[in-house]
Amino acid sequence: MAVRTRRLTGTGLSEKAARRLTITVLLAPAILVILLLFMGGLVTGFLRSLGYFPLIGLNDFNFDAYSIIFTDNGFIRSFILTFHIAFTSTLIASILAVASAMLLRPAFRGKRFVQFIFSLNLTIPHLVGAVGVLYLFSGSGLVSRLATGAGLIDSPAGFPAMVNDPWAIGIIIQYVWKEIPFIGVIVLAILLSVGEDYESVARSLGANRWQAFRNVTLPLIMPGVVSASVIVFAFTFGAFEIPWLLGSTFPKALPVLAFESYTDVDLAARPQAMAMAMVIAVMSSLMILAYMKVSRRYVRS
Amino acid sequence: MTQVTLSGLTKIFDEKSPPAVDQLDLEIESGKLTALLGPSGCGKTTTMKMIAGLLRPTSGDISFDGDSILSIPPEDRGAVMVFQNYLLFPYMTIAENIGFGLKMRKVDRKEIRTRVTDMLDLVQLPGFEDRKPRQLSGGQQQRIALARALIVQPNVLLLDEPLSNLDAHLRDEMRELIRRIQTEMGITTVFVTHDQEEAVVLADRIALLFDGRLQQFDVPDAFFESPQSVEIAKFFGGTNFIPGHYEGGEITTSIGRFRAPRSAVDGGDAVLSIRPEAVTLGAAGGNSVMGRIRSHVYVGRYARFRVTLGDIEVEAVTDPGQVKMFNDGDEVPVTFDSNKIWVIGPAAAHE
Ligand SMILES: Nc1ncnc2c1ncn2[C@@H]1O[C@H](COP(=O)(O)OP(=O)(O)O)[C@@H](O)[C@H]1O
Ligand SMILES: [Mg+2]
Repeated sequence: MAVRTRRLTGTGLSEKAARRLTITVLLAPAILVILLLFMGGLVTGFLRSLGYFPLIGLNDFNFDAYSIIFTDNGFIRSFILTFHIAFTSTLIASILAVASAMLLRPAFRGKRFVQFIFSLNLTIPHLVGAVGVLYLFSGSGLVSRLATGAGLIDSPAGFPAMVNDPWAIGIIIQYVWKEIPFIGVIVLAILLSVGEDYESVARSLGANRWQAFRNVTLPLIMPGVVSASVIVFAFTFGAFEIPWLLGSTFPKALPVLAFESYTDVDLAARPQAMAMAMVIAVMSSLMILAYMKVSRRYVRS
Repeated sequence: MTQVTLSGLTKIFDEKSPPAVDQLDLEIESGKLTALLGPSGCGKTTTMKMIAGLLRPTSGDISFDGDSILSIPPEDRGAVMVFQNYLLFPYMTIAENIGFGLKMRKVDRKEIRTRVTDMLDLVQLPGFEDRKPRQLSGGQQQRIALARALIVQPNVLLLDEPLSNLDAHLRDEMRELIRRIQTEMGITTVFVTHDQEEAVVLADRIALLFDGRLQQFDVPDAFFESPQSVEIAKFFGGTNFIPGHYEGGEITTSIGRFRAPRSAVDGGDAVLSIRPEAVTLGAAGGNSVMGRIRSHVYVGRYARFRVTLGDIEVEAVTDPGQVKMFNDGDEVPVTFDSNKIWVIGPAAAHE
């Protein structure tokens, strides 16, 4: 056992605590600004969702906005759609990311190339990706034309709706494409740091390839996969631009609905917009909390 | 039980560096305990992984009881490898760790539970079922790793440095345990070590590897009595070397001529090797030369003298009582027991 000595500074603080204090002081202005903007926005938003908006003469607190949105069939369907988008794209992206990381690991001589591909994808903004999806998968898009050309469908009109469609296929494609490398890089890093010895042990003890993956590799990388995918879930649940570009007109994804209510000429719709924003924030926070809980449990065991 | 044969086994990781394992031929006897001995980096782990099917050989063959097993995947070989750093699955309990191999074979849960309990008794850790690996000491983890391997009743047990991560007293305990289990179960066992003493104490036969090449494959005492090269003798340590010329059962050196009936070579340039215990001081006779005592240490159970013979210095280990008989600087007759002299070929050119 190494004996750790703790040197005390003149102020009676340990060096570590002193350093932490210094960092806090240095960061204080930035933290303050962030707190004011973020927390201020959140508090204002929350107050307004409760119908408190003195500027336009609303001075009472009530849950009207919440009861309106929660009884509104449109909101419920938007909520389900948004959950579907976030859940499905996160699940597909996670599975494909794990699969590609597993495939890439043994050949990790080509590390540079993989990093290039992954980082290329990571640096392309979501919006550009969305335009790409439009260009490829819309009714008049490239895939549709190629399919027509190859005689698979009679005319571009016969191409199944994948953009602005009720199943949000276009949105999911875009998210999956964009998030695979994000999760993949994390999983690959974990795979490389865990090494292949645990799997070797499992194989030697009688596990076939699949059993070794299922019983040994997967549990070892799961904490990483969970943390990465929860981040992705929270992001896709709250993101606005992709469903706005690629989504259907009804139902709309929650962030789109919230934005449109907010920009509605009828100021009375604002509390509802804020209530929706609150729902999104709460969902995202719940995700983060779940993430911390799950990852901590995995770290402990 | 299973006899393991390696023929021309070679592993090249990287074309630019020399092979990690180079043309290895080895007959590992059925039901015996064989040590793979050699300095760190000489290819011991690589050899074990190839036997277990975890690494594909570059060339050569491995067979169990005469049948090549190269095309058989690791899970079907019946050879289980226990890694140097235990590698217990961290998120499983001890019972789940030990039962892992049976679970993979879809053995009934109840049976797994009873066999896990038996294994814990065998490795003397009863009642450890529900603990997690991180709650165990290194020695306990090592024993669980052993139990996890033994529960699947392997035909071949491969232990990679099973003792090197343990404290001295735990090492003795573990050594006893391995020996006992191995004799009871009669499993063909290969264990890796870089410690020659460990190999000598534990193994029925020792395969000594340097730089991926087999140096000598023999019973333990042969490495002391008849090492096949100066390098081997040096690895086992303690021996005196005197260069000379060997002919007709006699070796002529710069300090004199000695009768030496035992040798690894027929004649020509050679090295006389003699262990310090076979060097006696005081009594003149055949195979004696005069020397001068340079220094001595009294160790309790024995005494160790350094003696100069002309331009050469040799070490003698004697009865502790001799410390009183000689002083540093004394001229004494030094005798080499001719039956203990072993003549080896000259040291390799790179030495
Ligand atoms: N996966 C690997 N890739 C490249 N070189 C390796 C690999 N594993 C082992 N080696 C090299 O092969 C040689 C033998 O290694 P190893 O079998 O682990 O030695 P030992 O177990 O005797 O200490 C070493 O030079 C080592 O660097
Ligand atoms: Mg090794």
